[in-house]
Amino acid sequence: MDEKKNTTERPLVVASRRRILKASALTLATAGTYGAAPFFGPWKHNHVWSQTAQKKPLVIGLTMDSSGQYAASGMDERLGAMMAIKEFNAKGGVLGRPIEAIHMDTETTPATGSRVAERLITRNDAAFLIGAIHSGVANAISQVAQKYGCIYLNSNSSSPTESGKDCHRVKFVWDGNGTNFALAIVKNAMAVNGKNWVMLTNDYVWGHQTAKAMRTIVEANGGKIVEEMLVPQNTRDFSSYLIKIQQLKPSVVATAVGGDDIKALRQQVVQLKLNKTAAWINNQQDWPDVYGLGPEAIFGVFGTNWYYRLDLPGVKEFVAAYQATYPGVQIRVPGNTYYNGYMATRELLRAVERAGTTNNIKIIKELEGLKVPARDRMQDFDAYMNAATHQLQQTLYMATYNDTPADKDDIFRILAKLPPKEVEDPDAPGACKLESYEATPTYEA
Amino acid sequence: MSALSNLLPHLLNGLALGLLFGLIALGFMLIVGVMETINLAHGAFFALGMYVALTLIAPKLPWAAGAVSAWMSLPLGWRYTIALLFAPLLVGVSGMLLELAMRRTYARDPLYGLLLTFGAAMVIEELIRLVWGSTEKQLPLPDPISGAFLVGDLIYAKYRLFACGVALAAMLALWLFLERTPYGALIKAGAHDSEMVRALGVDLARLRRYVFALGVALAALAGVILAPIWGIRPHVGVDAVVPAFLIIVLGGVGSLWGAVIAGLLVGLVVGITGAYASEWSLLSMYLLFIAVVTFRARGLLGRKSVLDA
Repeated sequence: MDEKKNTTERPLVVASRRRILKASALTLATAGTYGAAPFFGPWKHNHVWSQTAQKKPLVIGLTMDSSGQYAASGMDERLGAMMAIKEFNAKGGVLGRPIEAIHMDTETTPATGSRVAERLITRNDAAFLIGAIHSGVANAISQVAQKYGCIYLNSNSSSPTESGKDCHRVKFVWDGNGTNFALAIVKNAMAVNGKNWVMLTNDYVWGHQTAKAMRTIVEANGGKIVEEMLVPQNTRDFSSYLIKIQQLKPSVVATAVGGDDIKALRQQVVQLKLNKTAAWINNQQDWPDVYGLGPEAIFGVFGTNWYYRLDLPGVKEFVAAYQATYPGVQIRVPGNTYYNGYMATRELLRAVERAGTTNNIKIIKELEGLKVPARDRMQDFDAYMNAATHQLQQTLYMATYNDTPADKDDIFRILAKLPPKEVEDPDAPGACKLESYEATPTYEA
Repeated sequence: MSALSNLLPHLLNGLALGLLFGLIALGFMLIVGVMETINLAHGAFFALGMYVALTLIAPKLPWAAGAVSAWMSLPLGWRYTIALLFAPLLVGVSGMLLELAMRRTYARDPLYGLLLTFGAAMVIEELIRLVWGSTEKQLPLPDPISGAFLVGDLIYAKYRLFACGVALAAMLALWLFLERTPYGALIKAGAHDSEMVRALGVDLARLRRYVFALGVALAALAGVILAPIWGIRPHVGVDAVVPAFLIIVLGGVGSLWGAVIAGLLVGLVVGITGAYASEWSLLSMYLLFIAVVTFRARGLLGRKSVLDA
């Protein structure tokens, strides 16, 4: 029966409810995957075989976000990886093979990360995978990579679990993690600002693990976590959190919030002028998350592992190369996510050259013994790979807003530089159980 | 501080949040209610409203430096007011173009309309990236509505009050338009019995075009209002379209007051869980939705249908 005839009083709406409900399901499904990459699979499993003799291009799979919470940082690290690949291709590639990059959007979603990794390995014959901002995505990718033995570089995701309980033989972590940054920042913030802390924590693995690291250090030094509020990913309105913070009156608000969430949070804190009433620290501040926010929104103290105005050899040339290669990009100077994407890719390709092969075990051994002089990394101290955790140990910087900028992009003022030994996570080697070489499938592409 | 005095600011904040949610859903409700079309480009128009307002307030046009500097010499309050009025208007006009493309989908499977508006959303988002770039932007606010004020010992943003005022005004204006003007009567009649309205000589195609433009303009208005709170980035519309859809179904598809009440309920639930069980703050709106729809499939103020039999 026609539904229209079944009602005596018509509302403004005459949409057939069946049609609306049918469309509802579609809408929710579609909205949930808004901006999604194409559906992959099911597909035939392809074995990967050596291409070395045929001088085929060496395929690198870039597993980086172009949508979701970390879209901006994902795009930034992609530029960094592409720059390193461009430099190697200009010299004739690696082992005489040109390098080809294939990017697939991981959508800031772990399930997509798995799917993309599987596809890049089995269908695109990717020799290596690089990229991640979101630690859940990085963990998902690395599980697939380990299954095949494909080396995976976690370029930018910073949960301590990445080089702790979720470490893998094929995975190498290139950014400082939540524990490293907590060690760099927390003690000093307690001494300067006080001992009653409130934590705002992104409700996923990076947030949880970073908050856990901060809590441990705060409590070990006689401080108190008055409240920890979990912030679901994609939260856009922080008003209830900010009212609660005012009611609690903490001396320090410590955030482990990233991506679009921290952008919205920073703007709302400024609107309430709460940046003037409590000390704010953000464990780690990615460059694309503050670039363009305006000076007022860059409050508090935060950690980073690189800044474009470090007064070190090579930095100016690095910035100039970025600007020459990407003249149209809106982020006019490179930041930490770009830097990590570049450095991870460069060190991998150098390791391939040193090993003289794309055999995974040989390259893993090369990377496990990696030592990079400070000058070569444009940091203040030498960096080294911790062979037990597969995390690069490197210089970390404490920064705040620069109120005397040398140019309009000069928004950070470096407060302190910390050598890797001072911020190394002492518990990581105990938590990380790397698979043996024998248990890791041999992989060569 | 007593539990009640602790709770009170969160209740008030939840209501304020609810008005903003209601505003986000208003245009979506109008288009679904009158045109039986789920406009998945609602979020994209929401974002476009932000960017058009930003351009009106602080244009960056290298080829008209003189005009830009003359424009920029106007006080920020004037430029903001003009942006608040004209950004929705301009985006509403762009909505008419989409409506023209949608005509072939009328009276066909709703899937066609969904796919078309979904595609349009992606096109608009990419256009935004091309024109304005992908980095974060900020909408400047005039002094009288920026900053904060003290309520007891709590600080609250002046802008939130202003935003709530605009949301309330938009809801009342839409209600008055639909209930107290001949145009509103025509729109309702067209929704009720389009054949009869056409037989009476009313140009139904034009009516639909204007209704769609009004719905899109309301989406853009919500974007302009939410810009200083959510921030401006090309994909910000994604954050608007899901709550908007949830609110109109929760309120009863096509019911104006249903959408307003649902918006307030969602705001209250999100606001209070944000303070007391923060990890549930986003999930809480979906739980509310499930709870209501389980017992009342047609939503709060939806009309009875065969589904309720």
